[in-house]
Amino acid sequence: MSEKTLEIKNLKKEFGKNKVLRGIDFTLTDKERVVILGTSGSGKSTFLRCINRMEEPTAGEIYFEGTLITDKNIQKMRQKIGMVFQHFNLINNLTVMENLTLAPVKLKLMSAEAAEKRARGLLRHIGLLNKAKAYPASLSGGQKQRIAIIRAMMMNPEVLLFDEPTSALDPESIGDVLSLIREVADMGMTIMIVTHEMGFAKEIASRVVFIDEGRIIEEGTPTEFFKHPKTPRVQEFLKKVLY
Amino acid sequence: MNEFWDKVGELFTTPQYIDSLLHGFLLTLQISFFAILLGLVIGTIVALVDTSKHTKWTILPKAICKVYTTVIRGTPMALQLFIMFFVIFAIRGFPQIIIAILAFGFNSGAYVAEVIRSGIQSVDKGQTEAGMALGLSKTTIFRRIVAPQAIKNIIPALGNEIVTVIKETAIVSMVGMYDLNMAAKDIGSGQNMASYIVPMFVAALFYLATVYLITFGIRRIEKRLRKSEMRA
Ligand SMILES: Nc1ncnc2c1ncn2[C@@H]1O[C@H](COP(=O)(O)OP(=O)(O)OP(=O)(O)O)[C@@H](O)[C@H]1O
Ligand SMILES: [Mg+2]
Repeated sequence: MSEKTLEIKNLKKEFGKNKVLRGIDFTLTDKERVVILGTSGSGKSTFLRCINRMEEPTAGEIYFEGTLITDKNIQKMRQKIGMVFQHFNLINNLTVMENLTLAPVKLKLMSAEAAEKRARGLLRHIGLLNKAKAYPASLSGGQKQRIAIIRAMMMNPEVLLFDEPTSALDPESIGDVLSLIREVADMGMTIMIVTHEMGFAKEIASRVVFIDEGRIIEEGTPTEFFKHPKTPRVQEFLKKVLY
Repeated sequence: MNEFWDKVGELFTTPQYIDSLLHGFLLTLQISFFAILLGLVIGTIVALVDTSKHTKWTILPKAICKVYTTVIRGTPMALQLFIMFFVIFAIRGFPQIIIAILAFGFNSGAYVAEVIRSGIQSVDKGQTEAGMALGLSKTTIFRRIVAPQAIKNIIPALGNEIVTVIKETAIVSMVGMYDLNMAAKDIGSGQNMASYIVPMFVAALFYLATVYLITFGIRRIEKRLRKSEMRA
């Protein structure tokens, strides 16, 4: 197996005339934890969403563990590329348990019994086993997001993409969700995360990537990036978000 | 006033009158029932074509559906009925009830299509994306996620459409069919009761009772569907 979990070459995405991604080259190595920063509208979400083809790239190539992602193999690839959304996206007509087991069982990755056992274990771990039969409508935002995270974990993904996982949460539940992400990271999960939680970014990142107008204009270790930003754009950005 | 109720009694006890009324009512129910079924089938197909992805294979079907819904929704039902009777099925001896079912079914299909289309499109995009991100197929996403949620939006509007069809079938009296509306007019005519108010009052009650029953049924289904999501 290749050490490179993801290799992205010259990725471009246009929405009509709006050039959102203008050629991104990026490599994600196994067990890396990359935090993606950038101002609003710079293309962070679009970048993540092109990786698992929630958006169809306009140009460029994305390799997952050495295999080019195409329209033909995308469904298989998505099973290994987990995604956690800003708005949780739990499936409203399914119970928590069904949310967790639907995909692994339907895709024959696990038997129904094994999936349920695993789901129970994960739910117990996050203290929500009593919600197994509940529907999403009856859960708080923080509970939904933690369930969305273990739903992604149910698939045993090789990489997890997080798009602002705490932006839609009230301050009290942000902590719970961040500690679960921290735990997932400590297990050795390869992670890409867009977040506005700077403290958390510093702590979790093995690398920080800054996107501006659809290009990666700076990247480095958290220490380099936060202590000694090189480009004026990043200096300006950090001044705004850190004070 | 007493005279009015006497006449109501007369209508219900004179076999000739009550038979006519029930015959008319039966025809109204038959046309409505089969037209609604046909409308559901057509509407579902049109909605699925309408909401399917744009590819070169869907251009023609999509265009046909567009023309169909535009024409049906942009012209009077009475005219559509006339066209069915006097143009398309101007064949002697062709069963009138079938022509009527086709006319109302085709009409209803266009409205049902709109109801289903907007029901499907009102399902949050995030729900589909959740399924996609898990690697589920389009079919599974539709069957397990989108359709069950769309149905909750569709049922109430479908109830309205069913009620509309039942009431609208009254215009078949314009082409001489003996439905509930026509029966009321016939029973009230000079050769019979020689008074319109009573049979028309009774016919109104029949329509109202039918509509009420259907509305009631739809409410119950709605409630049951909603409850499944509220359980804590
Ligand atoms: N589905 C879409 N259709 C058209 N334009 C889009 C779509 N999605 C995003 N865009 C545009 O792409 C640009 C980048 O959006 P994107 O959501 O990737 O930014 P972002 O960096 O994630 O911003 P934020 O921090 O606000 O989430 C914006 O100008 C946005 O309007
Ligand atoms: Mg975003």
